[in-house]
Parts: sequence; structure tokens; C-alpha cells
Amino acid sequence: MRAIKVLERILATIPIMFGVAIMVFIFMRLTPGDPVDIMMGAGGAVGAGEIEQLRAEFHLDEPIHIQLWYFLRDAARGDLGNSYIKKRPTMELIAERLPATIELALGALFFALIIAFPIGILSAVKQNSWLDRFSMAGAFLGISMPAFWLGIVLILIFSVKLRWLPVQGRISYDVNLQEITGLYVVDSILTRNWPALKDALRHLILPSIALGAAVAAIVARVLRSSMLETLRADYVTLARAKGAPEHRVVLRHALRNALIPTVTVIGLQVGVLLGGNMIVETVFGWPGLGRLVVDAIFNRDFPLVQASVMVYAFTFVIANLIVDILYTYLNPKITL
Amino acid sequence: MRKSRLALIVLALMLAVVVAACAQPTPEVVKETVVVKETVVVEVEKVVEKEATVVVEKVVEKVVTPTPEPGRQTLIVALAGAPVSLDPADHRNRTTETVIRNMFDGLVTRDTRSGVHLELAESMEWLNDTTLEVKLRKGVKFHDGQEMTADDVVFTFERIITENAIEYPEPHSSPRKGLIAPLKSVEKVDDYTVQMFFSGPWPVANQMLVHQQIVPKHYLEEVGTKGFVEHPIGTGPFKFVEAQLDDKIVMERFDDYYGGAPDLEPVGPACVQRAIFRVIPEASTRVAALLAGEVDIIQDVPPELVETLQQTPGIVVKTAPGTRPKWVELNVNKPPFDDVRVRQALNYAVDKDLIVEELYGGRAVPLPGPLSPFNNFVNKNLKPYPYDPDKALAMLAEAGWTDSDGDGILDKDGQPFSFVMDTTAPIRSLAEAVAGQLRDLGIDVSVRVWEYSVVKPLLLNGERMAFARDWGDSAFDPVGHFEAKWHSRVEGSPYGRGNFSGYSNPRVDELIKLGETEIDREKRQAIYDEAQQIVYDEAPAIFLILPEEAEAASERVKNWEPASDSRINLHDVCLE
Repeated sequence: MRAIKVLERILATIPIMFGVAIMVFIFMRLTPGDPVDIMMGAGGAVGAGEIEQLRAEFHLDEPIHIQLWYFLRDAARGDLGNSYIKKRPTMELIAERLPATIELALGALFFALIIAFPIGILSAVKQNSWLDRFSMAGAFLGISMPAFWLGIVLILIFSVKLRWLPVQGRISYDVNLQEITGLYVVDSILTRNWPALKDALRHLILPSIALGAAVAAIVARVLRSSMLETLRADYVTLARAKGAPEHRVVLRHALRNALIPTVTVIGLQVGVLLGGNMIVETVFGWPGLGRLVVDAIFNRDFPLVQASVMVYAFTFVIANLIVDILYTYLNPKITL
Repeated sequence: MRKSRLALIVLALMLAVVVAACAQPTPEVVKETVVVKETVVVEVEKVVEKEATVVVEKVVEKVVTPTPEPGRQTLIVALAGAPVSLDPADHRNRTTETVIRNMFDGLVTRDTRSGVHLELAESMEWLNDTTLEVKLRKGVKFHDGQEMTADDVVFTFERIITENAIEYPEPHSSPRKGLIAPLKSVEKVDDYTVQMFFSGPWPVANQMLVHQQIVPKHYLEEVGTKGFVEHPIGTGPFKFVEAQLDDKIVMERFDDYYGGAPDLEPVGPACVQRAIFRVIPEASTRVAALLAGEVDIIQDVPPELVETLQQTPGIVVKTAPGTRPKWVELNVNKPPFDDVRVRQALNYAVDKDLIVEELYGGRAVPLPGPLSPFNNFVNKNLKPYPYDPDKALAMLAEAGWTDSDGDGILDKDGQPFSFVMDTTAPIRSLAEAVAGQLRDLGIDVSVRVWEYSVVKPLLLNGERMAFARDWGDSAFDPVGHFEAKWHSRVEGSPYGRGNFSGYSNPRVDELIKLGETEIDREKRQAIYDEAQQIVYDEAPAIFLILPEEAEAASERVKNWEPASDSRINLHDVCLE
């Protein structure tokens, strides 16, 4: 039953993705800026007729509804077009960069959760203690610090001054790693390539912190306030009255119920981690999807932007679906 | 000592990141820069004479200088942007060319300081005004060991000029076609001779051929464009190993390299064993990577970090004359800029030397007029408009602009002198500096930052008042530059495609057309001298400055020179 529901939800993403793609299609073409013109750049020789020829090649000389028809016709066949600038199929370009983005998002999420959970729980349990005040101040800082600034500061301290960690990139050039999934950490474990694992992890640490800091702060605050609520709930008092040990009261009774709002927030943040990491990718020279998309937008590389946005839409919908599925485990009263 | 130095760098970098403000120049550095400028000027002049003779009738003696004992190390270069393709015929992008030219050679190459030199061509001769005969160097090998012949050259150029010749990912024409637009056809004469036929005389042929690299016919026919971009093969000093274009491009020395242009020493295989390009878009990260020893050379050092790096032990900063002249174009069709006196007055009102010192730490030169002072056809009689605020005020008064109501803002017929100066993010600080100086004069100027592709159509329609930006000049020739900026706008043509001032002068248009096809160097100079003089006098823009381009490297890197066209030629570079 649940499997069918899940399948239904996944199928429902298809019209959503198309709706989003059509919106993007129209908005991109309404935005001022001509891809061919940008391609020709400011400077250098341009041949007569060259611009017209390129416009015709990209079908930009045809009315927008005809262009949309071409797009939908090709998309229905599973062809999302070729990048104007990079001259390669957009799906290939995205597939190449998506693993980097996913790896970074997972790294950031991992960092955020291992920081946020102990802090959130402890600050709630020891409300108004120095630990609580200190960590909430830290969380406030975490939300306020721009990822760009944090990234540069981390690089300057840990890479330039202390030389503990690499400045940028995903892996050192002299590490031979056989790619399977494209997630370097996973690949190095699968191939039992321990030097590569060490190298990949070392590269992953700083960007994960820069990207995850804000998420850690948000999750810690949400978890703390939900914990404060559940710790005052009747069932927690009852559990204490029954003589359950304190750690059991906190982790089994209070935390489990505090998780529902927290999971919602985490689910939303996963979307942000996957879609909003362009700045961190730029600072750390991380070859992910964010940078690809931003470049594509500035170049008005319409097919690449459309395809990427469809991928983003898909990830958001799937992240939401996973959250919904988790709900049913956390609270059996909820069904899909 | 070293610790405190590092702390200083860290602090300086943090400041630079947070404020992105301008650096304070010190007299020491200024002196150094002046020296650089002087050498450059002299060498450029030298080039000009050389160029005319070298390329046309050239008897090549193989002067093989011993290359330094090949190193065994890996050289890592940090690029500011990612290349878009590794197919020499399938891009229109400078960074891409920078990378490609280390794996592919062309018929000719260019050295920023000494001009165009023969590379794969052994000689080039104009049989008549429109036919160029190219004799090829013998024994040049592609990376797969096959010899390069006339077939490859014909194939290369036909692939560029023939419509829809590139079949992957869908049939399309080469985006580099426009760079060699007058080329009509190419024919093989024998295995080592080709003839190129042009639609008319094309004086910049040598300069423009630099931008086309030779690809292997046999290989492309075998693997197709898809296979070729996945594993490109050329005749260059490095062969392809692996690449992910947004991240890194790994290359290895090609031991059978024929040596490169015989005029440009050292001749022989490359010095380093392995060369890697890494893409690091963020300037602060590039600098950090250099400081941490992760990379050996970094491209595009922001002006505010040059100072800091220069003072860091173990780091060398070098500059090359820039190729992007900067100006504020004024809408000549709208008052008050329809009055030539007002436009000239604004040129007198801007203290370019102050901007060079304060904003660029001395690493820029004022523009003598519409062309860069390093352009091969710059008018040597033109001098930058001097800074003379009194004269500016007098000229404005003559045009009717005075501060009659005493509010500190000039006015005419009750209207204050007020306008918006448009610009784009990278030019913002320059635009602000100019606006500040104009405000001091009593003109109410505000700066508005746009995305270039958004503001461009408005500018071409004459809807804006003033626009501060630059226009590239990497061929050091007026073609590709002058007709775009100062020719009357002709819709759908290269003429006036970047003419944001609405400037139009029939004589200038005529001269531009003449200059495009004039073969005689002296006549061509006279043509461009006149055109520059007219544009200078009519001042459709406030001519500002030309900043130098800075690169930095670790001290271990030897034999490295930044080039104005931002090419990073790794052939000569060694590591200690």
C-alpha cells in the first residue's frame, strides 16, 4: 500500500517538473539578454551574418510558442537539449556535476546534524544554563554568518595558516580513484582505496562546515524549542513518575516527539543545501551543479538552465516525499 | 618573522574580502611598475617593425637552443574561469583558448611582447592581395605519432568555415567562423603547402590566424567530434591526460614535440613533466591556494591583493599590459551630451593619474584616446586629456552650464546638471571614482550597476545617458575593436555592435572601412591616425585608463611571463 502511494507521489512530480520547466522557459526568454550576443562577448572580431546564423541555429529567431513547442516535443522524447555554450547534451553536463553537489550536501548535512543534535538536546535539558546561552549565541552567529565569508575565513585559518586541510577542489590530482557513483567518499570505500578516502574527506571538511553552519544553527534552535515543549508534556512527566531513567525520558519520550517539526525543517534545508550551494561551490572551487547553473543563467544558456531547474524541482519534491515518509515512522497516526 | 608575515596576509586578505576596497599604494611599488611599463612600450614598438617583415617572407633557420634539462615535476595553474570545450573549433572563449593552446599549435602564434611568429607554418607568403600560401613545417607529429600534413590544415579550416561541419551534439557551425570571416576556401597544393583564398585583402590575417589551431583529420574522422572532445589530440607541447572542465585539466609533456616557434626560445619539448589547470573562480581562494602551495601560478589577481602578494616572501607577482581599455561612453544624441564642449569638459574633469594611483596602485595607464596605447596602430601624437578642472568649468560655462543658484550643482535654464552613470559590477569602483570627481565639479552623478546583457539593448537603443565599461583589444589591432565602438550602428552587423554612445561620423565610418582592407602598413597607420584624432576631438566618451593584468606565481616557477591576451603558455615554464 505504502509502495503504491510512494510511486503515485513520484509520478506526480512529472507534471510539476514540466510546469516548472515551462515557467522557466518563459521567464528566461522574457529576461533581457541575448545568449548569442553574450557568446560574442565584448571585444574581438565578429563576422557579418554570424549572429543571425547562430540565432537561427538555436531557433531563437522563431516565435516563442514555436520554441516552446520544440522544447516540449524534445523533452517528451527525453531530450532536454544541448548547451549553447558547452556544446554538449545538458543531461550529460548535469549528470557529471550532480554527484559533487550531492556529496557536498550530504557532508554539510552530516556536519549540521552532529553539531545540532547534541546542542539542541543539551540546551533544552539544561535550559538557561551557560551551555544553553552559549550555544544559542553560537547558533545565532551561525545563522548570521554569510557562507562566503565563513568559507574564506576557514580557508585562511585551516589551509593557509595551519596547513591542515586543502584550500579547494574535491580530490588531489595525484590520487587515482576509480569512479563508480561519482561520490568520491563512497567510491573510495567501495574500491577500498583508503588514501583516496582520506584525501576526499580532507577536501570535504571545510566546504561542509561552511555550507552546514547555517543549517546546524537552524536545526539546533528548532530542536531546542520543540524539546522544551515536549519536556513539559504530560507524558514526559508520567515517564519520570514511572521512574524511567533520565536519559531514557529525554531520548525516547521527549526527543522522539520533538523530531516531527525538526524533520520538517531538515527536509526543507536539504533542498536548500542542494540548490543553494553555489556560493560555497565557488569559494571552494567545488565543481558542482550550483556553479554550472549560475554560469548558465549569466550566459542565458536556456537549455542548460531549463534542464537544471527540472532537476532541482525533482530533488525538492523527492526531499519532501522522504520527509513525509519519515513522518509515518515517527508518528504512526500520520499516513501518506 | 614568517609567522607575523602570515598573520599579516591573513588579516589583509580578510579585509580585502570583507570590504573589497582599494589598496593604498606605496612609492616603492609605483617605481617598479613604471619600469615595467617602459620596457613594454619599447618592446611593442620593436615588434611593429619586426612583424611586417617576419611573417611575410621568412627563411627559417632551425636555431635549436637546448631546452633546459626536462623537469620531473607537476606544474599547477589556477584559472579564474572554466574552459567550455577542448575542441579548438567549438568555442568563443578566452579561457578555453588559453588551455587549448597548450595542447594545440596553430600556423602562427603570438608573443605579447614581440608579436606574431610562425609556428606550424614554415613560411607564409601573399601570392596576391587575397591568396595566402602557407608552407608547413615538416616532421611535426600529432600526439598519436601521425605526421601533420596539408590535409590536416585544409580539414581544420574547412571545419571552421563550412556550415554545420561540426556534427556533435547536433550539427552546427563553428563559433569561430566569424574570427576568420573573409576566408573563402583552402586548398592543398602538396603535402606541405596549402593556399588560403580570401574574399578581399585582409591586413589582420596574421593576427587572426593566431586564434585557430590545427586538428588531426585522421583522428577526427575516426572518432568524431564526441570522441575528440573526450580525448583531444593536437600538435602542442602537452598531450591530454584527463579532464573535467569545471574542475581540472591534466596534461603531460609530449616528448616528440617539434619544439614550437623557432623565433621564441626555448625551442624543444616542454620543461615540466605534467601540467594541470585547475578552475578556481573565486579570487581570494586562488590567492589562498597559492599561499598554501597548492598551485604554482594564479591568473587574474585582483588589484587590491597585488600589494599584499608582492610583499609575501616566496611569491612573485608579474603584470602585463591589459587588453581592456575603459571609458565612460556618453549619449551624444541627448542633451547635455549632444554638445561636444560638454563631452570634452568631462574629459578634462577626470584626474586619471589619481585613479591610476589610488584605485590600481599604479598598475594602469591613462588612455591616450579611443585606442589602447599598446595597440599596433595607436596614434602616437595623441596625449591623454590632461586634468584641468578650471578649463572644464570654463568649457561648461561656455556651453551654458553654471551654478547660478549657488546650490553647488551646475545648472542651465533652471535644470540641474544631473545624470545616471550605468556600469557593471566589475567596473563599479572605477565608475564611482569618476562619478566622485564629476560631483566635485558640480555635476550630480549617480552610479547604477547592471547586468551587462540587461543594459546592453537599452544602451544600443540610446535609452541611457552614460555607460562605464571596457571593450577587449587582445589582437592589438583596431579591427575587432574600432568598428564595434566608433562606427555608426548598423543593425545585425559587426559595425557599431558595441557603440553605446550613439556616435556617428561618416568620415570615421569611411576610414574604418578603408583600414579593414588596406595592406600597406603606413597608409593604414595614416587612416587610423585620422580616425583616432576625430574620435578624440569629438569625445563621445570620457577616455579613462587601461589596467595591467596581474598574475602571481611561487618563486619555484621559472621562465614564466604573463601575457596580455591572458594566454598561459606552459611550454617554457620550469619548476625548481
